[in-house]
Amino acid sequence: MKFLCTDCDTAMKFKDVTRPEQGSVTALFECPDCFTEIAMYLNPSETQMLKSLDLKLGGTNEAAQPMQLVRSQLETAKGEPMPNMFSSETSSSETAEGGKCPFTGVISDAFQEDATPAEPTGPTWTAEALERLERIPAFVRPMAKMGIESFAKDNGHDEITGEVMDAARGNFPAQF
Amino acid sequence: MKTYSDLPSDAGSNIIGQVTAQADRIQKRLASVKHTVAIMSGKGGVGKSSLTANLATALTMKGNTVGVVDADINGPTLAKMMGVRNATLEYTPTGVKPAMTPLGTKLISMDLLLAEDDAPVLWNAHSQKDAFTWRSTMEVGALREFIADTEWGDLDYLLLDLPPGTDRLPNVAELIPNLGGVVVVTIPSEVSQLIVKKSVTMARDILRVPIIGVVENMAFYVCQHCGEEEPLFSADETLDKTLQQLMLGSIPFDPQLSRANDNGTLYIDKYPDAPASQVLVQVGKKIQDFFISTL
Repeated sequence: MKFLCTDCDTAMKFKDVTRPEQGSVTALFECPDCFTEIAMYLNPSETQMLKSLDLKLGGTNEAAQPMQLVRSQLETAKGEPMPNMFSSETSSSETAEGGKCPFTGVISDAFQEDATPAEPTGPTWTAEALERLERIPAFVRPMAKMGIESFAKDNGHDEITGEVMDAARGNFPAQF
Repeated sequence: MKTYSDLPSDAGSNIIGQVTAQADRIQKRLASVKHTVAIMSGKGGVGKSSLTANLATALTMKGNTVGVVDADINGPTLAKMMGVRNATLEYTPTGVKPAMTPLGTKLISMDLLLAEDDAPVLWNAHSQKDAFTWRSTMEVGALREFIADTEWGDLDYLLLDLPPGTDRLPNVAELIPNLGGVVVVTIPSEVSQLIVKKSVTMARDILRVPIIGVVENMAFYVCQHCGEEEPLFSADETLDKTLQQLMLGSIPFDPQLSRANDNGTLYIDKYPDAPASQVLVQVGKKIQDFFISTL
């Protein structure tokens, strides 16, 4: 897949990918000239197909680990739970028993479910803001969330409040 | 406006690069394997796995280094048949050490990864609904890892025991473009031969994979009391002419073979003088001869 910014006639670049929400990931692409962003949604079947092919959105520089697909995706595996590159059951670095995951280097954050978010690196959300976020239709929520976080970051907000959402609202078609 | 071909890359995911890297892993691993052989039928229940286990053992007993991939991801039986079901796979940074039979044949099988006897192969997914859309892809991915990530070392022969279905060989041929050859297994029944002929066509005419030959399994049985050979299936049943021309051997039915499989005993090792063992040895020799003749 390739993406073109039709305004600039420039190839867009991969920027980020969300953790799956209800089995669906969202990939963000950006025009390097005008910085316009677009979001590509993969439905759960498409997301699962990507997992099955053991491919990583955004590419990877990590060396493949032995049988990483089978060991991380086989639910009925022998022994202690295998680290799962894609599910919400374990964190990216520890097994359920707390042991160190041998696949830390290949864990694809892109496929970690949103239920176990990684250490926050961007603005934090207040409870009120999160409640409002939940009211956004699910199919546009990941894009709206990324957009609001991007807006907060660009405008120096460490915390996303209702006011920040109001300020960001003008940038989005969806109401929240 | 630029077209698809005008854009230099796929925006940074490098999907083609990732797929190429997967193929390279297989090629790198198989660089130390002299000959790859797929054991297939198309038809289920003809004894492919039993034949694979014993052919691998026959080749090992002849001094070859032999590895076996149980490519039946959903119905793996070879670990049981080869007596290594309790083996624990050892994971290293460079691969997975396969199970090894007492005679030194190496094996990788999904059975060695499953938790319980009654545990089916179930893949992690947000939902199992519509799993038909991706399950086959996951299975091919598993097979790819079995071939690429097992520490085979230097092998003379790598045998792949394929599950039933004429669609299985194309998957293997995609993963191993220089597949050395195919051994096709049938039984003397018209129903079996109907499917097996499709497999021969698939291998020979469509995929252009060399056919080493056909093995007729359960061809007859030898009376344990009088030593007379009797047909196990219909007495009128003769092997199709196309299949006859490719014949490597006809293996008699032997209840001890079935018992050996259940006990995890290598039949050909335990009963070397049995008629079936002697045919198995001959088939192994013909496989070796096939590769010598292609040098």
